[in-house]
Amino acid sequence: MSPPNELTSARDGQVLTVRLNRPERRNAMTPRMLASLARAIDDAAAAPDPPRALLLLGEGKVFCAGFDLDLCAADPDGDTMRALLSGLSETIRALRAAPFPTVIGVQGAAVAGGCALLGGADFVVSDNAARFGYPVLRLGVSPAVTAPYLTESVGTGSCRRHLLEPELFDAPHALGIGLVDELVSEPDSVEPAARAAADRLAALPPDAAAATRRWLDRITGSGSLREPALEASLSLAGGAEERSRIAGLKKR
Amino acid sequence: MSNLANLSRNGPVATLTINRPDARNALSIDLLAALHDRLDELERTPTPVTVLTGEGRAFCAGMDLKQVLGGYDTAYELLSSLGALTLRLRSLPSVVVAKVNGAAIGGGCGLVCVCDIALTHENAKLGFPEVELGLCPAVVAPWVVRKVGPGRARRVLLLGGVMDGARAAEAGLVDILTPTTDDLDEETDALAERLASGGPEAMAATKGLLNRIDGSDDRDLITEGARLSAQMVSEPEAQARLKARFG
Repeated sequence: MSPPNELTSARDGQVLTVRLNRPERRNAMTPRMLASLARAIDDAAAAPDPPRALLLLGEGKVFCAGFDLDLCAADPDGDTMRALLSGLSETIRALRAAPFPTVIGVQGAAVAGGCALLGGADFVVSDNAARFGYPVLRLGVSPAVTAPYLTESVGTGSCRRHLLEPELFDAPHALGIGLVDELVSEPDSVEPAARAAADRLAALPPDAAAATRRWLDRITGSGSLREPALEASLSLAGGAEERSRIAGLKKR
Repeated sequence: MSNLANLSRNGPVATLTINRPDARNALSIDLLAALHDRLDELERTPTPVTVLTGEGRAFCAGMDLKQVLGGYDTAYELLSSLGALTLRLRSLPSVVVAKVNGAAIGGGCGLVCVCDIALTHENAKLGFPEVELGLCPAVVAPWVVRKVGPGRARRVLLLGGVMDGARAAEAGLVDILTPTTDDLDEETDALAERLASGGPEAMAATKGLLNRIDGSDDRDLITEGARLSAQMVSEPEAQARLKARFG
């Protein structure tokens, strides 16, 4: 049985709003949540009357804390980790392949898998006090799956640093490196500002917006690296290093 | 002889001026041909530094609208000539400086991104209104990506609209910002002088390597871009939007 509301979505005019909805777990990602998210995006893209912009938000105080590590710790064979990594990669692929642009609103934090989603977005809004980062090497997990899109978003220099240095960074730094496009002072202002950006994108002529987004992906060729990047992350899933580090986290 | 583009030389610095001030230096097929002719001269006798600027109040207002609306063949001729010009400007052995004296819109802003270093003043207007008009700025997009990076290029092309000089500097479209146009003259002269103090062969070798690293010599991408852009502009929806806005 699927837990009913890990993801909610609502169409309002030309904008489809999708919300990660596990606030009691800081919207930690489950395999099911990511599969639903990728499917929601693909379904919207294939609809006879597709939305003209997607707004991705997180319910509660935090946009997304990354993968649900309790689920990973309970599955030492690594199947859950593999499903999460594949689901994340599929979700970013779906965001990029869709004809409509995506805006993400981040309140509180976007960490690890949650931060990786930002690389698939066209515009990111966050509050001034939000925290970002990819602190997964500590867990013996490779963030390689994120790299093709993060290099585009922040450039190869910053990408290298933040994938290798397992520390969080603050919102002004995220703005400076180009991971975030607009800062607002209060967490409550994130959703209205992100919605305003989505409305602006939804007002663009849809064919021109779609052609231009496709053309940008053709110029950068990032999609061609998706599979090798996923493979690099998958190759470690269920290995001894990852298993002992995730188990250790649970005990601590 | 057409003087839609002028070339002057002062020691190590050549100045290439887009000269159609009554049309805000909009790029027509004739004007692009004149720029190509001036580039022939520059390629024959290169200078260490080349400054690209516009006559009058605008730098370059973009593509000539009448020709853009002239159907696929005319639009393709215009856009492929622009594409060829961007490749030639980029591969000059000179360091090329964009002195953005006023509006640099659409294809005009694309020319800014092709140059190695760009300067403007706070009241200039820069940006890419193409997508809003139902067009795809496919010829200039590769240069925007190389100038500001793929992430910022996405924002600038989809959501940027037209911005003032200060915001263009924040977005990375220009490198040096001056308060007024008078300061722009002074700052450009000082920059050109600094650049001219470098060894021309070393500069050319460095530019060549940078072009190789960022794929600037990819002709196929520009040709494909010209086809895509001409096709989008010939769609009835784009034609209707353009006529409604400018007709």
